Amino acid sequence: MTTGTITIPRIVPRPTSETGIWSWIGTVDHKRIGTLYFFTSIFWFLTAGVEALLMRLQLSRPEAEMVSPEVFNQLFTMHGTVMVFLVVMPLSAAFFNWLIPLQIGARDVAFPRLNAFSYWLFLFGSVLLNVSWLVGDAPNGGWFGYAPNSENLYNPSNGMTFWVLSLGVLGIASIAAGLNFIITIINLRAPGMTMFKMPVFTWMTLITSVLIVLALPVLAVAGIQLQTDRLFGTTFYDPVAGGDPVLWQHMFWLFGHPEVYILILPAMGIVSEILPVFSRKPLFGYPFVIFAGIVIAFMGWFVWSHHMFTVGLGPAANSAFAVSTMAIAIPTGVKVFNWMGTAWGGSIRLTTPMLFALGFIAMFTVGGLSGVMHSSAPSDAQQQDTYFVVAHFHYVLFGGAILGIFGGIYMWWPKIFGWKLSEGWGKLNFWLMLIGFNLTFFPMHWIGMDGMPRRIYTYPADQGWNGANMAATIGGFVIAVSVLVWVINVYLSWRRRDPAGDDPWDGRTLEWSIPSPPPHYNFAKIPQVEHLDDFWFKKHPELIAEFEGHHGPRGAPEGAQFDDDDYYEDEVHAEDDETGSYAHGADDSHGGHGIHLPDMSYYPLVLAAGITLAMAGLFTEYWVVGIGGGLIAWGMLGWSFEPVND
Amino acid sequence: MTEAVQAEHHEPVEDTSTGLNNRKLLMWAFLASDVMFFGAFIATYLVYRNKSLEGPYPNQVLDIPVTSVSTFVLLMSSLAMVLALDGIRRNKKAVGRFWILTTAALGSVFLGFQVYEFYEFAQMGLTPQKNLFGTTFFILTGLHGTHVTLGVMWLIFMALVVSPTPKERWGLVLAIAGFYAVMLSTLAGIFTGEESTLAIISTLVGYPAMLLLIFGILGMFGGAWILAQAGRGDESSHHALDLEIAGLYWHFVDIVWIVIFTVVYLISATDGTPPGSAPFVLPGAH
Amino acid sequence: MPPLRSVTGRTRATLLLCLLAAGLAVLAACTPSHDQSTFDPAGPIAARQADLFIFIFWLAVAVFILVEGGLIYAVIKYRKRRDGEMPKQVHGNTRLEITWTIIPAFILLAIAIPTVKAIYENDAVPQDRGEPLEVIAIGHQWWFEFRYPGLEIVTANQLHIPTGRPVVVTLQSEDVIHSFWIPKLAGKLDMVPLNDNHFWFLADRPGMFYGQCAEFCGIAHAHMRFRVVAAPEEEFREWVTDMRTPVDAPEPDSPEAKGRTTFLANCSMCHTVDSYLANGYPTEIAAQDRRWNTWVESEGDSPIVSGPNLTHLSLRSTLAAGVQDLSEENLRTWLRNPGSIKPGTRMQVNAQVYATEDNRIGLTDEEVDNLIVYLMSLEPGEGGPTVSVPPPDAGGEPNAARGEALFAANGCSGCHSLGEDTIIGPGFKGVVSRAGTRVTGVSAEDYLSESIRSPSAFVVEGFSDGLMPILSTLSDADVADLIEYLKTIE
Repeated sequence: MTTGTITIPRIVPRPTSETGIWSWIGTVDHKRIGTLYFFTSIFWFLTAGVEALLMRLQLSRPEAEMVSPEVFNQLFTMHGTVMVFLVVMPLSAAFFNWLIPLQIGARDVAFPRLNAFSYWLFLFGSVLLNVSWLVGDAPNGGWFGYAPNSENLYNPSNGMTFWVLSLGVLGIASIAAGLNFIITIINLRAPGMTMFKMPVFTWMTLITSVLIVLALPVLAVAGIQLQTDRLFGTTFYDPVAGGDPVLWQHMFWLFGHPEVYILILPAMGIVSEILPVFSRKPLFGYPFVIFAGIVIAFMGWFVWSHHMFTVGLGPAANSAFAVSTMAIAIPTGVKVFNWMGTAWGGSIRLTTPMLFALGFIAMFTVGGLSGVMHSSAPSDAQQQDTYFVVAHFHYVLFGGAILGIFGGIYMWWPKIFGWKLSEGWGKLNFWLMLIGFNLTFFPMHWIGMDGMPRRIYTYPADQGWNGANMAATIGGFVIAVSVLVWVINVYLSWRRRDPAGDDPWDGRTLEWSIPSPPPHYNFAKIPQVEHLDDFWFKKHPELIAEFEGHHGPRGAPEGAQFDDDDYYEDEVHAEDDETGSYAHGADDSHGGHGIHLPDMSYYPLVLAAGITLAMAGLFTEYWVVGIGGGLIAWGMLGWSFEPVND
Repeated sequence: MTEAVQAEHHEPVEDTSTGLNNRKLLMWAFLASDVMFFGAFIATYLVYRNKSLEGPYPNQVLDIPVTSVSTFVLLMSSLAMVLALDGIRRNKKAVGRFWILTTAALGSVFLGFQVYEFYEFAQMGLTPQKNLFGTTFFILTGLHGTHVTLGVMWLIFMALVVSPTPKERWGLVLAIAGFYAVMLSTLAGIFTGEESTLAIISTLVGYPAMLLLIFGILGMFGGAWILAQAGRGDESSHHALDLEIAGLYWHFVDIVWIVIFTVVYLISATDGTPPGSAPFVLPGAH
Repeated sequence: MPPLRSVTGRTRATLLLCLLAAGLAVLAACTPSHDQSTFDPAGPIAARQADLFIFIFWLAVAVFILVEGGLIYAVIKYRKRRDGEMPKQVHGNTRLEITWTIIPAFILLAIAIPTVKAIYENDAVPQDRGEPLEVIAIGHQWWFEFRYPGLEIVTANQLHIPTGRPVVVTLQSEDVIHSFWIPKLAGKLDMVPLNDNHFWFLADRPGMFYGQCAEFCGIAHAHMRFRVVAAPEEEFREWVTDMRTPVDAPEPDSPEAKGRTTFLANCSMCHTVDSYLANGYPTEIAAQDRRWNTWVESEGDSPIVSGPNLTHLSLRSTLAAGVQDLSEENLRTWLRNPGSIKPGTRMQVNAQVYATEDNRIGLTDEEVDNLIVYLMSLEPGEGGPTVSVPPPDAGGEPNAARGEALFAANGCSGCHSLGEDTIIGPGFKGVVSRAGTRVTGVSAEDYLSESIRSPSAFVVEGFSDGLMPILSTLSDADVADLIEYLKTIE
């Protein structure tokens, strides 16, 4: 809400720094916010990795006593929560931020300050969650927080309160970000970019955002219910008063299953961008891949009870959810086959991003196949809550999401930072990660079927689980080394900082048409989009006919002559250099070409801090809620009255 | 918004891919998210319906006539919201502002009813900790009340935004403060045990509440009179979009209440001791 | 389950086992017992689950080879040969895409049909395999209670079943969610508070099968295990008879007797040892409910918690919920410092006897030794099954002889001597004449009747409340007979 007639006094002047820490604190630039998301979640990635290694050390031998059962419970709770909410989701958000405006030809997201707000809220929420370690009260009820084990009677420490409140904060952050990207993608596309000319990653972002916006509220409701139980003595999940623990599971998984697709769809989008670039071929069956994504997202709402096959919902419910779960494998399979179809007949360059993308397909397929084994309820009765499940979802979430995201990191690093990561170190990183990953998680299939349950901090020596556990621990450390290799790669490449050029990979989408790193305003001239993979066809106009020829009614008539002049507005065209950049030659200032970008603002930070403090105050001191409330009021009023540009 | 009005009042056609305003779209998307939020709470209520192990049960506490009145009040506020937007769009600022304030006032009256209801229920022994009905009822209606409260604050904020001059500001402050003084004294009267407003006024406990009521009435009408004079014909259509977005939110909160009123009140009104009341079955008890 | 199918299932399982274990053979070369392997089903439920898994597994292997092979082939075949080469810009192939949508759909249909079939087959108790044995399994933090309502037997952490006969289990939980899982007999089903679950399983062969809680249930989740002893019908019947046979009374002043005194004073509020008694089954149920309610009402702080029933403990093979073999040495470690075997166990956290500075047991070494001797002596005695109590007299006249039988059958003598000594409760010499003088206006009969009905009603100074069970199964005639018997003790 803006109005020119009302101003409220500023307590701190509007930030204007273009360098230094203040330029980050007040930033509303999507690229900077993406970078903030990225490094914050990489930090939590390392934290969660240390947690995983501690667990693996404890489990490397039977009857080990490295960590107590209490600490072990905290470790797996935090590892799961952190990896889901502080690593994979925000890493995806980093890519949303970096890429979406660039891919759709926009200068920023629809609501830049809301975007900054999402980040700060995510940061504070993640800190709130992890502060629990420092006060010795880390959550210990599992990332799924099953009631009544997460209720006060069984869990009197503050751990699960930390968990539920920080998930609340993170949930608001995710919903705000999701809303922002939905509007951005729907409303800020460059002229000519119809929905079916959007890059696949943009599509997956849109689908993911819709899922976030619809699924996170369900978690919020479950969280509020557990929270009022814990803090105010209501009886939502107290069986003694008639509260039903199964309701918690329905609520959690009604959120939890769409969440699985929230985690994997962005990585699928990344892979769908990498494969065509390094095969020099368009994505095979673009509309099929998009529809498969939509169908997965839709069907993802009707399979949640497959997490509850052993709860005792009865044969009818188990049959229905078994069949719906199997059905969701169909669109997933379509994606895998289409990716193979993309590589098929291409001119494949095995660069680091391509290796990660291929690794994604290979590993995700394994996870998908073990998923089909789970979908068969009777078979799942033996697998549920065993290490087989641990293996399954790590194949999907590590072999899938993390490998995909690493591919994305190598792919877009030169675009975001202007210099490439070393290919040699990158390939070492990939192979170590692939080998370590399989060494860690493949044996888990075996010990799961051999009867080793999840979430046990120790196990007897005579069950035949020792070797596989030791192998998994060794593999865990190989993964750690691979991440270390990535860190070394970043450091060494940063020291060299060889300019990457605008289009180091021979890219296809709009982000490769502008300088690396992109200027503040992204596009000096908003591009006029004519094609899917517009930039590719701009570079290779001779291919349009060949491509469009297959395209049927959506494309230009077969044999139509491509006329460059029609496709790009004169001004840009005139300034085109041979890379065809949309931004080259632009006046590198705010004023150039009349570009108006939003000014910086600290109110998002204030509001986010207020919300976090108000939440934290609920279980510490009520005056903290007061301070939080004050900050919320200040943030909201300041934000409302602050013009986008002074 | 019609083309003509847009052209007349310099509101540019939205320069977006869909032609829809970003913020309006944001509100729609947010409401979709909020549907899931309330949906999950209402589902919880339905799952726990008739599952309380002890009373008070709905049929012992629910007062359908009273809640019907408050529901009517909230529905009328939606009508006022429509009139407010119409006034603001047509540059009848004072009229629009009157209806904005009426909307906020009706919303506040609804909240007053809710405070009264919560108080009464607590008197009858129903608290959020008491049983599953209490737990689900208070948290669901309480969160809806929070939504209404935010909406009222938003509307007051909108009234402030369309009233830039000091005179208008004074009128606003007087009218709003007066209104809440009346509400406060009325609630105070009700909580001291009286049922009808007339009886409250005659037997109002204590001098301060009486004074509050009198000053409240004076302030409300005085403020209204000032506002009726100030900035009558000012251009206001440039606020129409902001108000429309607030209105989307307001109508949504109303619709949610209709669902809650149906589910929690109308169809639960006769819920008593659960049929074949099966309290917590202890393990092994056969 | 036809034997042939089961054998092929097992053969496939062996194949699969080889395949999966190939890479790990060296590491796993010690002599593991694989007691929880799902590839060695011993009953139709587990067999069906394993068969289904193996069927899907081979389909998955085929898809795996197709996809990974295709991927590797594509990468090798279509590797970039020269700079600037431009592959054909194929946008897709609708026919191909529809094909690879439909073929997986058929593969999944091939999985869905046996899946749904197996769901329903595993749900229906077979009618042709004999009378099902009814069992109630209850999850507690962190042990399993087993009740046999038809046989009126209560035991813990070791479930005895006959082979070849279906066992119908009702799953309940007292506190949080647990999961009941015997990998070789049946896949898991959760034990959810307020939501009774029912399922059945059947052991085709005798043996000791391992079970473990599979749902995260708190700090000692890793140590919540149990055993299933499947034995031929006759052996099972013997066990049932044993469970109804009282322990022989220990010699006075023997270590057993001293251990028993220690047990009654420090352990008996949470552990029952005499569920072989006539009212043993309902008494134990009432006692567990009372213990549970005490714990809940104190918000987890009471010295009384739900403890496993220890009737005929020495018939069991493990202690601490299947965590260690039952032996004197392990029992000593367990009693002295339970946390060294099972961190977080309620016994150490809540029980009064562990409320010491270092949370070790507050007993002398000698007392612990005697306690161990006593616990290991808990086994069926020579006297045969419990003498049954005759039905009450038709005339309704109190019958002292019947009262004596009730006194024995309800285990009253465990706490009350017939002399003046205090065991746990007061000695009963002259109890009726004392009872008449306790409370003005209350007759001896009313005082005693009330004391039997609600033990907390009149607690004499020097004795603790909360130790005596509520004998909810006693009828009014039973109480009258008991009082009549007490009158004879002068």
